[in-house]
Amino acid sequence: MAPAWYRVATRHRETHDTVTLGLGPVGQAIATPEPGQFTMLYAFGIGEVPVSVSGTTGDAVLVQTIRAVGAVTRALCAAEPGQVIGVRGPYGTGWDVTRAAGGDLLLVAGGIGLAPLRPALLAALSTRSAYSRISMLIGARSPEELVFAAEVDGWRRSGAEVDITVDRAADGWHGHVGVVTQLLDRADVSPGQTTALVCGPEVMMRLTARALLAREIPAGQIRISLERNMRCGIAECGHCQLGPRLLCRDGPVVSYPDAAPLMAVREL
Amino acid sequence: MTGVAPEELAGHAFLSGMPPALLAPLAPASTPVTMQKGERIFEEGAAVSGFWLIRHGAVALDIHVPGRRQIIVETLGDGDILGLSWLSPPLPWQFGAVALAETTAYELDVATVLAVCERDPLLGYQLVRRAMAAASRRLQATRVRLLDLYAAADQSGDAQ
Repeated sequence: MAPAWYRVATRHRETHDTVTLGLGPVGQAIATPEPGQFTMLYAFGIGEVPVSVSGTTGDAVLVQTIRAVGAVTRALCAAEPGQVIGVRGPYGTGWDVTRAAGGDLLLVAGGIGLAPLRPALLAALSTRSAYSRISMLIGARSPEELVFAAEVDGWRRSGAEVDITVDRAADGWHGHVGVVTQLLDRADVSPGQTTALVCGPEVMMRLTARALLAREIPAGQIRISLERNMRCGIAECGHCQLGPRLLCRDGPVVSYPDAAPLMAVREL
Repeated sequence: MTGVAPEELAGHAFLSGMPPALLAPLAPASTPVTMQKGERIFEEGAAVSGFWLIRHGAVALDIHVPGRRQIIVETLGDGDILGLSWLSPPLPWQFGAVALAETTAYELDVATVLAVCERDPLLGYQLVRRAMAAASRRLQATRVRLLDLYAAADQSGDAQ
């Protein structure tokens, strides 16, 4: 349970309230996270929060994208290069991207849900020839609140089809305006050979899963990332319980057939 | 009007499932058109005289906001119907429309379509049903956008 010490190596402001930190190990590094896993980040003297890993680099640097919504995340977002924070993990289940190899990979991200999907996309692009089509559909609140915006062209050059829509257009925006499921309506999908990975607010994932099913993608080929109040990360405290599951261990990534009944229960 | 063959109309997603024979009266009211990128298709407040079945391309519905440029409220693409205000004549266009890319479509003359529908209730019913389905999908999408799902959820919580 003791955190490893990591030093902030880089800090990139994604949006007005979201920051991506590059964290380098001071001593012993944690195990390399799989795409989709999360870590517990500790702002010393303030507290600890679960944050999805949005990437890794060859020199054991963790890339973590944090949105300032509370005391701990505000402190982490404010961390400057050189500052030391604690890291535990990695925890939970991953996207298991390789299961989609040989077929099409469709990633659907909503808002900051793009952060946990980014390592899945990068992993697939690093073995591009193993997949047929790699598509990324992104929904954002506005063009200004799109995370990793600077990387989109690079993803396209690497062989991904990337389509973006926003809920609210700003002056000068000439892209799609609408919800992310409308992008899905227009996407070229081969249902039998498509694996879909979905991450975003739970309502968005529910609607997206329905739209994927309407496109005849089998439920078993849809995976989503559920989020609850992870505290310990090791399935001991029970804070992240969702029905029979402890999401810090059995999630966050779960198959849609497993998640759908739980998502339908109010107050869970 | 040059007309579009009923078989071609039947191949459009909006009219999918309708037999060409049923669509035959629409053929003389239809014209294949191409809009260039940046071309304004109609202006907010203008009288409605046609609607479009988009074949390929992208069209933005927009509105002028004083002090700002045209704001896009929704984008439409392949297989979509552009223009629903003709269902409630003499409503003017509630939004403007501009092509975001070169866009091909079938343009239909509203006066002729409404007259044909008066004479052929089955055709009218099928058109209205499809237009309602499109309006319903857009209403649902708008409701989801109103939820503002991507806003920061809970200022007291840190989990993410």
